Amino acid sequence: MMVADWSHGIVLAASILSWFIIGAGLAQTAVYLLQLIVAAYALSRRPPVARSALLWHRYGDVAPPIALLVPAYNEEVNVVESVHSMLALEYPNFEVIVINDGSKDQTLQRLIEGFKLVKFHRPYEEAVTHKPIRGLYSSPMTERLFVIDKENGGKADAQNAGINVCRAPLFCVIDGDSILEPDALMRAAQPFIDDPERTIAVGGTIRIANGSRIEAGRVREIHLPTRLVALFQVVEYLRAFLMARLAWSRINTLMLVSGAFGLFRRAEVVAVGGFTRGSMGEDMDLVIKLHRYMRDTKRKYSIQFVPEPVCWTEAPETLSVLGRQRTRWQRGALECFFRYRSMLFNPRYGRVGFLGFGHILVVDVLGPVAEVLGYVLIPAFWLLGILSAEYLLAFTSLVFTYGVCVSVCSLVLEEAELQRFPRARDLAVLTAVAVIENFGYRQLNNFWRVKGWWQFLRGDQGWGEMTRTGLGGAKK
Amino acid sequence: MWLVWDMSILLSALSLVIMLLLIARRVLHERRGTAAADQRRFLLTALIAFTENRDREALKAVLLSVPASVAIDAGFEFISLLRGEEHDDVVAAFNECGLPALIGKQLERGNGAERIHAAEMLAALRSENAVASLLSALDRDRSREVRIAAAIALCDVGALPPLVITLRKIGIAGQRSRRLIELFRRFPPRRFEELEDHAGRQDAVPFTRAAAIDALARSGGFRFADFFARAVGDPSAEVAAAALRALGLTGHTDAPTILVKAMANDDWDVRADAANAAGRLGLSELAAPLAQLMDDEAWTVRYAAANALRSFGQPGERVLQEIAASEVSRSQRTASLILAEGPAI
Repeated sequence: MMVADWSHGIVLAASILSWFIIGAGLAQTAVYLLQLIVAAYALSRRPPVARSALLWHRYGDVAPPIALLVPAYNEEVNVVESVHSMLALEYPNFEVIVINDGSKDQTLQRLIEGFKLVKFHRPYEEAVTHKPIRGLYSSPMTERLFVIDKENGGKADAQNAGINVCRAPLFCVIDGDSILEPDALMRAAQPFIDDPERTIAVGGTIRIANGSRIEAGRVREIHLPTRLVALFQVVEYLRAFLMARLAWSRINTLMLVSGAFGLFRRAEVVAVGGFTRGSMGEDMDLVIKLHRYMRDTKRKYSIQFVPEPVCWTEAPETLSVLGRQRTRWQRGALECFFRYRSMLFNPRYGRVGFLGFGHILVVDVLGPVAEVLGYVLIPAFWLLGILSAEYLLAFTSLVFTYGVCVSVCSLVLEEAELQRFPRARDLAVLTAVAVIENFGYRQLNNFWRVKGWWQFLRGDQGWGEMTRTGLGGAKK
Repeated sequence: MWLVWDMSILLSALSLVIMLLLIARRVLHERRGTAAADQRRFLLTALIAFTENRDREALKAVLLSVPASVAIDAGFEFISLLRGEEHDDVVAAFNECGLPALIGKQLERGNGAERIHAAEMLAALRSENAVASLLSALDRDRSREVRIAAAIALCDVGALPPLVITLRKIGIAGQRSRRLIELFRRFPPRRFEELEDHAGRQDAVPFTRAAAIDALARSGGFRFADFFARAVGDPSAEVAAAALRALGLTGHTDAPTILVKAMANDDWDVRADAANAAGRLGLSELAAPLAQLMDDEAWTVRYAAANALRSFGQPGERVLQEIAASEVSRSQRTASLILAEGPAI
């Protein structure tokens, strides 16, 4: 009798656990499919303008001034070339503010030599807090460039210094090692032109430059990466930007404007205290703060994602570096979720509380844990005869086949509306990658995310070393 | 559970089939793309040749030999580079080949981006049917961006309906767009009074009223100075600030009195624009109120006041130096910073 009760208890516990795992997977898949539908609708409603010359003709006279904030930490290899390419952006009214965040290498020296920088006094408002500024520099070669030299305080701290010093009503954050397309600012500024009162932040697309031919800080020829790890990330980024961000942007619940390329209205960012210093996910943190502030003050606003403006970045090509990046991202998401947990399902924050935070809960908080548990427990329960094959198949479909569908559908969206991959062969390769990433890479990613969970619980605040080879060279 | 499995297989297979079809479509496009690039080059060569020999019949023959989409696309870019007689001749050739009719169809049936572009092209070609097509787009198009583009194009061809009607057709949501600033800047001088009427309407959207004032200040000049002086007292801070910026451009006999009053406004934008206007007009007699503004709670106002003082030359600099040498305060710090602005010595 005792044994029967005991075994009944085990079966019940296994069933409940399996239901939790499959339920979490179903919820995650449902979210993805919903995002696909909304993203497809959004793209069909707002087709891209093909040529940047038209944008200039149309918006050149009314484009608002923008300050480009470029935090740089130990970027001596590429910094001069990156700044040159930023100064050559096609936008009528912008300034570039490079923030040397206490680099230990020759970043500042390279800038001083490259642009003949001289010390400069520029009055500014201490609107948000940051580590002390050691000096400001301007260049006699161009009025558009300013360099801030400050004590090391991290990316968010450096961006805060830039926010204080800049004078434009809008600022754009970009990583020092990234490359903006020449028309990226003009395209990203479009929502600020079409609806200047309500638009407070705009994010653009980040694309992976590994494999492309890069000359003089410009992507001259687009090629796919040659390494599989970077190829997987091409599909991943496509899914993240074209599907998730576009969908949430459409319903004004966008929770993340990437710190690698985002445009913000300065006044609102200052009102929320700028970037949260020391935060692992300072970009997500800022967007959540903006949502909270605008909803608390009952102001109409919009935080948008525009798929056309492109910022190129270098993706990690080794599993160890990628793993560190992903665990850090996971910690960032968890940190934001728990820091602002009072917004979750809080009617005061409307769809941001329900959909935005609900999405973080399902995809970032519960998703990886449930899926990794499933990898171990569902096959084990089936082998032990506790679960029927139905459960195993359902779990398999959620992990593998729906994954294939979602990845391929985001490629379908890209090709149907944007067609940014230049060759049919690239599309064929990416389609194959979209299928095979679900068999191994996805599982590895979830493992890293669970590791991120563990580090978060232990209070690990390290960023980990992010080794980059630099985008400055020729085709890699 | 079986449903979950079956659906996943069905959806994955479907997505893969669609993707394969898209890849096949791309292969076809790649082949056609090469042909289109050749045709585009062929047309541009003919257009360049036309600017030298003015052989309209030869140009028309080339225009008719390439697909209409290529002709419209390449032609629009080329036309935007031309001026005077050359421009008119090329436009006439395009019109004689019936291209505006095709653009008119694009304005009706294209996607949002294509419809906006079509409106711009119709304005550039100035064909007979352009006005009717653009009026129809302003009236009926479901996208406010297209309606605004149609209004700008109508303004360019001199057929914009009265402003009140145009704005009503653009709709309230569209009246927040900075594209309206461009529309107002393109207004012909004979219709400036419409802008003035609109800027003075208390029931209109403040953003559009401010845009109308900015446009009048840029193009209308001193004849609207009295209107700007009145508009400074507008209850809307946005309108008052725009009027102050306008006064800073045109000047006014009562400017000192008006600006001193505006410097005490509750809105910091208005105070800052008042300081900016004082600096722009070189009203050094306003040094005292500007010095007071340097203790303002808003940095932008303090900075604008200090800048205005600095723009007065030596008298202003003396005031700043006195403030900088006084006891530590907000104004003392602002004055020190402004005096130090520039390359470090």
